[in-house]
Amino acid sequence: MLPFAVPSIESVVKALGVILGILGILLCLRILRVRPPDLTSARLIRLGIVTVPSAAFFKLLAFAALILIPAAAVAVANYHVFEGVENVEGCASCHVMHPMVNDMHDAGSNTLAARHYRRRWIADRQCYQCHTDYGLSGTLNAKMEGYRHLARYVTRTYPEPIRLRGHYLNQNCLKCHKATAGFENVQSHHTVWDRLSTNQMTCLNCHGLAHPSPGDRTPGSREYARLMRAPE
Amino acid sequence: MNLTVPAAGAIIALVITTLFVVHPSPYLMALFVFVAQPLFLIGALLYVGRVFRELHAKDIL
Repeated sequence: MLPFAVPSIESVVKALGVILGILGILLCLRILRVRPPDLTSARLIRLGIVTVPSAAFFKLLAFAALILIPAAAVAVANYHVFEGVENVEGCASCHVMHPMVNDMHDAGSNTLAARHYRRRWIADRQCYQCHTDYGLSGTLNAKMEGYRHLARYVTRTYPEPIRLRGHYLNQNCLKCHKATAGFENVQSHHTVWDRLSTNQMTCLNCHGLAHPSPGDRTPGSREYARLMRAPE
Repeated sequence: MNLTVPAAGAIIALVITTLFVVHPSPYLMALFVFVAQPLFLIGALLYVGRVFRELHAKDIL
């Protein structure tokens, strides 16, 4: 048992990011104040037990400010780009995703996402668990697609209701359901297995909508205002 | 070795990155991905270019 609470990874990322950011800005401001004579003078600068010529000192400073700290800051900040988006809160930070998140939390909804959430079939990171091949949290191709989503979201060049680009792969369902008694005991799964495993038919054909229908997510629809409110 | 442009670019990129780390949101994420990261890269390339030019001028490379 540790005598102190272990900080969450988000807190560590935040603290590291702020430290790197402030340190980097201070070093860059120092570089902006460097004058040509500083780089040619024979003046020596003492750094603890080491003494270096001023030209070498400023070049090391520039290396730290323009290469080392930016590289560390990019690595830390990319945690939010690739890891943070795996949380439901990450998805909900874009308002076009509010209908999916609100519906998932709705105890009265009968969509697949709501049923999985209500019965705790997926304990956490519910969006990501079913969309591992999609968006910034997915494969390299999916990450590139995620950048496109981000660009279209911030430039507001997307039509509502948003639609899944491409096809939802059944493997996202089968990775959990396949080989379970609940799946294997249903004869129709075996009857259509060839088509299911090759994505020629989708699980949704028999199991209903995963999220609110595009009609309900269309601006002006009766459900639109309720679905678009900020998730709690 | 004048590093005014790379340093100014790095300051802008570091401010964006710090804001994004403290308060991750789609707009700050877009600024980080599409503005800050390219600025860091351009700054680093300008710095490396200056270093190579200086070494070349001193006949080290």
